[in-house]
Amino acid sequence: MRHAQPPVQRVRPPLRLWLTERVATWARRRQGEEVTPLVLQARRLYILPTRAGLGFALLLLVMLIAGLNYSNSLALLLTFMLTGFVLVGMYECQRTLQGLALTQVRVLDCCAGDLGWIELHLSNPGPVVRRALSAGAPGAAPALFEIAAGGTAIVRMNYPALRRGRVQIDRLELATTTPFGLFRAWTWVYLPLIATVYPRPAGRRPLPINGSRPPPRASALPGADEEQWSSLRPYQPGDSPRRIAWKIYARGGPPMVGLYEGTGGGEHWLSFVGLEALDLEVRLSQLCAWALECARRGAACSLRLPGCELPLGRSSGHRTALLRALAGYGEAPVGAEPSA
Amino acid sequence: MNAEAPALSPQGLRLSLLGLMLTAALNAQHTAWWCLPVLAAACAWHLRLISYAGSATRAAAASPGKAARVALALLLTLGVLLSFRTLNGLEAGATLLTAMTAAKLFEARSARDWYVVLGAALFLLLAACLDRQQLWRFPLYALALWILAAALRGLNGGQAQSAQGLLGGAGRQLLLALPLGVLLFLFFPRLPGAFWALPSGEEAVSGLGDDMSPGDIARLVESDEPALRARFSGAVPAVPERYWRGPVLHDFDGHTWRRRHAPLGPLNPLHYAGEAYSYVVTVEPNSHGTIVALEMAVPPDQTVARFTDDYQLLAPSPLRQAQSYSLISYAQFQADAPLTPLARHVDLQLPKGRNPRTATLAARLRAAAPDDAGFVQEALNYLRDGGFVYTLTPQRLGRDSVDDLLFDTREGFCAHYASAFATLMRAGAVPARVVTGYLGGEWNRIGGYLLVRQSDAHAWTEVWLAGRGWVRTDPTAVVAPERITRGAELLSAGLRSEGARLLHVPWLADALLAWDALNAWWQDDIVGFNFSRQLDFAHWFGFSDRNGYRLAVGLGCGLVAWMLWLSWTLRSAPRAPRPDDLSRAWRRLEARLARAGAPRLPHEGILAYAQRLSRTHPHLADAVTPLARRFARLRYGPPSSPRRVRVFVRQARGARAARAARAARARF
Repeated sequence: MRHAQPPVQRVRPPLRLWLTERVATWARRRQGEEVTPLVLQARRLYILPTRAGLGFALLLLVMLIAGLNYSNSLALLLTFMLTGFVLVGMYECQRTLQGLALTQVRVLDCCAGDLGWIELHLSNPGPVVRRALSAGAPGAAPALFEIAAGGTAIVRMNYPALRRGRVQIDRLELATTTPFGLFRAWTWVYLPLIATVYPRPAGRRPLPINGSRPPPRASALPGADEEQWSSLRPYQPGDSPRRIAWKIYARGGPPMVGLYEGTGGGEHWLSFVGLEALDLEVRLSQLCAWALECARRGAACSLRLPGCELPLGRSSGHRTALLRALAGYGEAPVGAEPSA
Repeated sequence: MNAEAPALSPQGLRLSLLGLMLTAALNAQHTAWWCLPVLAAACAWHLRLISYAGSATRAAAASPGKAARVALALLLTLGVLLSFRTLNGLEAGATLLTAMTAAKLFEARSARDWYVVLGAALFLLLAACLDRQQLWRFPLYALALWILAAALRGLNGGQAQSAQGLLGGAGRQLLLALPLGVLLFLFFPRLPGAFWALPSGEEAVSGLGDDMSPGDIARLVESDEPALRARFSGAVPAVPERYWRGPVLHDFDGHTWRRRHAPLGPLNPLHYAGEAYSYVVTVEPNSHGTIVALEMAVPPDQTVARFTDDYQLLAPSPLRQAQSYSLISYAQFQADAPLTPLARHVDLQLPKGRNPRTATLAARLRAAAPDDAGFVQEALNYLRDGGFVYTLTPQRLGRDSVDDLLFDTREGFCAHYASAFATLMRAGAVPARVVTGYLGGEWNRIGGYLLVRQSDAHAWTEVWLAGRGWVRTDPTAVVAPERITRGAELLSAGLRSEGARLLHVPWLADALLAWDALNAWWQDDIVGFNFSRQLDFAHWFGFSDRNGYRLAVGLGCGLVAWMLWLSWTLRSAPRAPRPDDLSRAWRRLEARLARAGAPRLPHEGILAYAQRLSRTHPHLADAVTPLARRFARLRYGPPSSPRRVRVFVRQARGARAARAARAARARF
């Protein structure tokens, strides 16, 4: 279940970060709470020259001075044409975002310490392809994509899951550097996005055995036998290649991952019993590791926490409910669905 | 930018290198010979890297180390220093820029590196523009700009695009920028002069110089380059009167005539008479700084040009580019005031001990003449009747060049005869000086101007006659009168350019005339669009206040108009596809139902809508339900024949009558 190593996030100077946060806060007040579907309008788009853009402006200034100094018409014409070229590019940059429609956003659960995934459903109603788009959340490397004219795209981007619990994702940033990287247009989307972050699976204690049946032998562990999978879900980076449904993929289908709902596992009652000496987060991490271990073995498990009980089960839905219970343990119940 | 992914796709990279090579080649005329091969080698090396696409580590391993790159940069800088003895100036600067860009290519990997390379290429393009402005170069400059713009678009940080895509996008972007470019070109305030001058190396500008040796003009006569163009607003001078005055030469060392830069006294006021010619002369770049004007120009404003005591028009700054001047000249002129002693002294100087036979001849002619004017006439008669021959390839003259010409070889061209005549005059105590310039001019009937070429270069003398002042005396006119009228003869044939004249192809001659007219327009209105022309333009546009305020208003209005136009052109509003007949028929039906008070809700599908109608508006349902079913089948089902669509359209229209009738009945 481990995800790939998170991409290295570029370290920004603190001043710039502080400034970005201030402006983002101002933009949030200005834009108010938002809901999907959302069409990006001009009033919410911001644009600034990039570092290369500032350098280019300096180049244009020097060219202008040279042209004026020598009263050289051709040099001035070149400078003015380049100025126009850059300004048209600025318009193009802004137009790449304007009119883009964000139809749906889905936040996928993840474990603390990993990078979670957010699925954006975007559509380009315009007659022109939109290039060099990026989508990102603060603290994670953005995802790059482009959308054909009149097309739609499902973009998967990362969010950083720094702590367990129901984590509010402050904002999403949609940006572009089209057409030549001299300008960067962006918009901040403030949706009520709640990520359910499971505890970080950690702890080496053995699974508590409370069931009547013995634990399965290693040879009975589910392998790559596609016949035994009970259900399929879309592939996520980090999934074991052994569990990819290659037959479906070979037929041209999407990459799917088989979920095993084995019958060979035992029954495990998961609770804080025996973990009292540990810190709460460490306890939850151990429970999470156990729950994932059960799922791996195809064993049924139940959960008993103060104020929360889940009966025995081994379905993927049960597992998700269990992990979510761990994620939300000790937090105020959130009425809203974790996905928007 | 991800360190793993190359910042520039192979297509963008090829475009960058192509644009860079093109701009460097456009600078080849003034850069050192070695910098272009160095750049080509760097480009070839970089193209090899493309084969390592996707393997950044291999590419990095193939790149020279930091020490090697620094050594290369130092070596190239040293090369520039050796070639030019300086790093300053346009030539050395362009060479240095080319060389450093070549060095940069060895380490170019990140987007930042490529921005630097492309910025350098754009700067090289500027250097080329500063150096040369001929019309034929303009398409090449535009092409280079296009390619570099496309390469810039390859740096957008997104997915790679094809070269066609990049070029298409850049071309569209440049076309959209064109109105702004033109607007700024016309309205952006220009400066009247340079505020900072780079030291410029002595450029070899063809044309007259500060001195005249006999060989110079012979070389010029072979050149077909334009020297000046004059656009007359009234009468055009007759062919023999087309004397264009350039540098005036006073000092003679026996071989070469030279200018004097210090004045010889105050300006002797001129009285003008005869026909007045009002014209705009566009002078091509020259090295002598003199505005070559029709004899004899009225002194213009001090800020435009300085009128010297020997009647030269000196430009305030070197004529590195073609410049236009509005002038008035008169056919006749005269000065009453006496010659200053200094001027008389200078214009009587002869090299000591040279040309003894000429001195003897002068003394003999002088004795035969009653006065100065008579002496001038005697000398002209001597040249006319002495069996002198006009040739552009005379024999070499010795140390006593004038003696050799007058008594031995008896052949030469204008420079020889002007030199000999001036010497003769000075030996006879008549102040004389040599004037260089042009004689003639070809009428371009397509452009409506007089074109004077370098091949029209001429030299003549001016002698001082008391009471009349300086009088033009052209010894060549008596030796070879056809030289003076040659222009007319060629003009009537309409075939001036060498090739066309040889081939006798009228259309080619016309094409050459048209090409020159186009060049003239280019020089006058585009290259020559300067501070004063801008004021004229603003005046013509109706902005007469001349303080720039209204110019700024014009610029602002234009900018706003351009931005609005751009917003309209680039609007990203979805252009919804035109609905087909089927959808239109259904929409009409829906609209009618909405008017009847039963609109479809936004979330409702068509069949759900029909179902709801059957509950809430049973009287409508009879007509709508079957239509909705049919529409759904036609729209979403397997493709069906156009005939069925037509049937549906008719039925949907027919349903109106039935439904309307029912609705009407329901109302009563």
